Amino acid sequence: MTRLQRRESLLGWAFVGPATAHLALFALFPIAYAAYVSTFKWNIANGHHAFVGGGNYAFSLREQAFWNALWNSFRYTAVGVPLGMALALAVALLVNQRLRGVTIFRTLYYIPAISSGVATAMLWIYVFLPTNGLVNVVLLWLHVNDKTHTTDFINNASTAMWVLVVMSVFTGLGPRMVLYLAGLVGIPGSLYEAASLDGASGWSSFKRITLPMLLPTSLFVLVTSTISAMQLFTPVYMITKGGPDMTTDVVGYHIYTEAWVDFNVGLASAKSFILLVAIAGISIVQFRLVRANLADYSA
Amino acid sequence: MSLRRWWCVLLLALAGCQPSHNPNAITLRIATWGTGEDDSDYAKKCDAIDHEFERENPGVKIVRETIPEQYVQAMVMAHVAGASPDIMMLDASSAAVFMNNGIVTDLAPIIAKDPEFRLDDYFPNVVDIARRGSAVYAIPQDFTPMVMYYNKRLFDRAQVPYPDGSWNFERFRQVARAVTINEGEKNERFGYAFSNWMPGWVMWLWNNGGDVLTEDGTRAAGSLNSPQNAQTFRFLRDLIEVDHVSPSPSMTAAMGVDPFVSGRAAMTISGHWSLIDYKNAPKDRNGQPKLDWRELGVTAVPHNTPLANTVMYESGYAIPTGCRHLDLAWRYVKYMTSRRVQMDYNSSGIAIDARKDVAQARAVDPLERAFLPLVATARAPRGSRVEGYDFVETQGASAMSSVLLNGADPLAALKTAAERIDLEFAKR
Repeated sequence: MTRLQRRESLLGWAFVGPATAHLALFALFPIAYAAYVSTFKWNIANGHHAFVGGGNYAFSLREQAFWNALWNSFRYTAVGVPLGMALALAVALLVNQRLRGVTIFRTLYYIPAISSGVATAMLWIYVFLPTNGLVNVVLLWLHVNDKTHTTDFINNASTAMWVLVVMSVFTGLGPRMVLYLAGLVGIPGSLYEAASLDGASGWSSFKRITLPMLLPTSLFVLVTSTISAMQLFTPVYMITKGGPDMTTDVVGYHIYTEAWVDFNVGLASAKSFILLVAIAGISIVQFRLVRANLADYSA
Repeated sequence: MSLRRWWCVLLLALAGCQPSHNPNAITLRIATWGTGEDDSDYAKKCDAIDHEFERENPGVKIVRETIPEQYVQAMVMAHVAGASPDIMMLDASSAAVFMNNGIVTDLAPIIAKDPEFRLDDYFPNVVDIARRGSAVYAIPQDFTPMVMYYNKRLFDRAQVPYPDGSWNFERFRQVARAVTINEGEKNERFGYAFSNWMPGWVMWLWNNGGDVLTEDGTRAAGSLNSPQNAQTFRFLRDLIEVDHVSPSPSMTAAMGVDPFVSGRAAMTISGHWSLIDYKNAPKDRNGQPKLDWRELGVTAVPHNTPLANTVMYESGYAIPTGCRHLDLAWRYVKYMTSRRVQMDYNSSGIAIDARKDVAQARAVDPLERAFLPLVATARAPRGSRVEGYDFVETQGASAMSSVLLNGADPLAALKTAAERIDLEFAKR
């Protein structure tokens, strides 16, 4: 190795070193340590720990409450992600118009994304309050409710999950909209011009040009939104605490209570790895389903 | 300005940033829950009491660390991280995790060596909450049994005699019906305000011969899902749905305020702490309080059992095993639980003082006096013995919700709750 090569090599290490060290210290080491902890029955309150090998994984997969949490996460994701994507696409199409002041709307829609998750969740509690919450006031105007019987959306087992879904659709709107907007800007105008010359209607152009050309963007939004939805925590912690009747006890919150309320850190670590495998599995399926069509379209 | 002069200015500025208190002072850290509002009367009273201790103990600085959320978790984590405070408030409802896992110090040897301190000064069953055999893990500060409050004004209007505590469930139902006023389909006034908060209704189970967990606290099946408890659930449900003497959860939610404090319910179960709200009840159009606390009565909860059972919630002072200044911490605990400090501290009226002499001194008020006969039969909360009891309470409230909101069968709902609790306990 020449002197120049050695210097370049050192320079390269100097550039990647801090980031690698950060990654190793704050991501790889905790992951490895969590894997180690997951093989112990470990109560952090009394410090007792005993090696159980795969016992925590086997226990988790037999535990009804964990399956309930997985199911809750899945149904939250299955409803919230498609709804969120559809709304984001609709808003992106609207703010992609050449209208005066459209930048203001783009900014407004993005504000929830840069707001604190805790603060946003607090605001949504007020939206769904049984007495003077916005939704109940609207239902009162529409004569769906009367003054003596309002709906306690947050504490009702049949509506609590919808509270989280509606909240996530609106708070996730900004980032998804920006991604779709970028995708829309990247579609060549010539395609629409050619379609127009061929007499295609607006709906036809949307269905046959916009949607297919947005496929890579949609895949990205789908995968990232799914991962994020499966890890839901803050709104559950702030609004429902997993209730009522465990109907919003999603995996992220379930793992948190396992570790920091029940102090079973070994079991919580094992559940985290099961969640990792579940998310990876869902992502792989999503990639495979879309990949066949992906090669043909690119914005 | 020369570089040297700049350095001088910088050093002087940094010196000005140094804390002004004595660098040799011993800092005594006291962890407590609460809001941490600096301008409340309560906070000012605590500050004054702490300053008096600092004055009496030169060189000592008291630092109160208020942890309004996740107190138990914060304290356990502080213990794990070796950063425990010197003194911590111990809530009876969640005391088990601290006492069972060696997080707090056994004070019995310290008490034995201290001739100035007498454990006999405190209500014995209140002290017993933090006792394990001969070990004593906390000195109680104050407590409250859960009692039945009744609004005398509403009883007088309905010309119904005040309850004397010797009532069973059926008699209670009759009384609640008698004080309820229905006008058409609208209830103008309810006999009773039921709230689905398990610490506030668990005594209904006990008073019908039921329980939540087995004697050793390890299982719910066979206890929580007993026929007696299902019968109690039906009774409470019927108060709302059949007798219409209590507002439904959705009606209570629509009111936006506790029906009892707004004068719309004649009876409710709560602790001594509610008196603070009752003394600050909302006012009507004429500027009169909707609930006049001077017209309140307190009595035992209805019971089908020979004795009226209730639960008492308590808070006390414990010294974590990681305490850095044990002697000083004990001196502070003794100071805080002394008669002279408690006479001042307890004047806020939030709870009954754990010292018998202070509680008796405050019992010149008839309302305060009415609490005292209920103390002897009050039980410690199960959370003082069973770790993670909050999960039991969550499941109990879920079972009640599914009965009241979703029309579930009480026995089935209790069975589901018992199964979930036992699965949770099986992890240990």
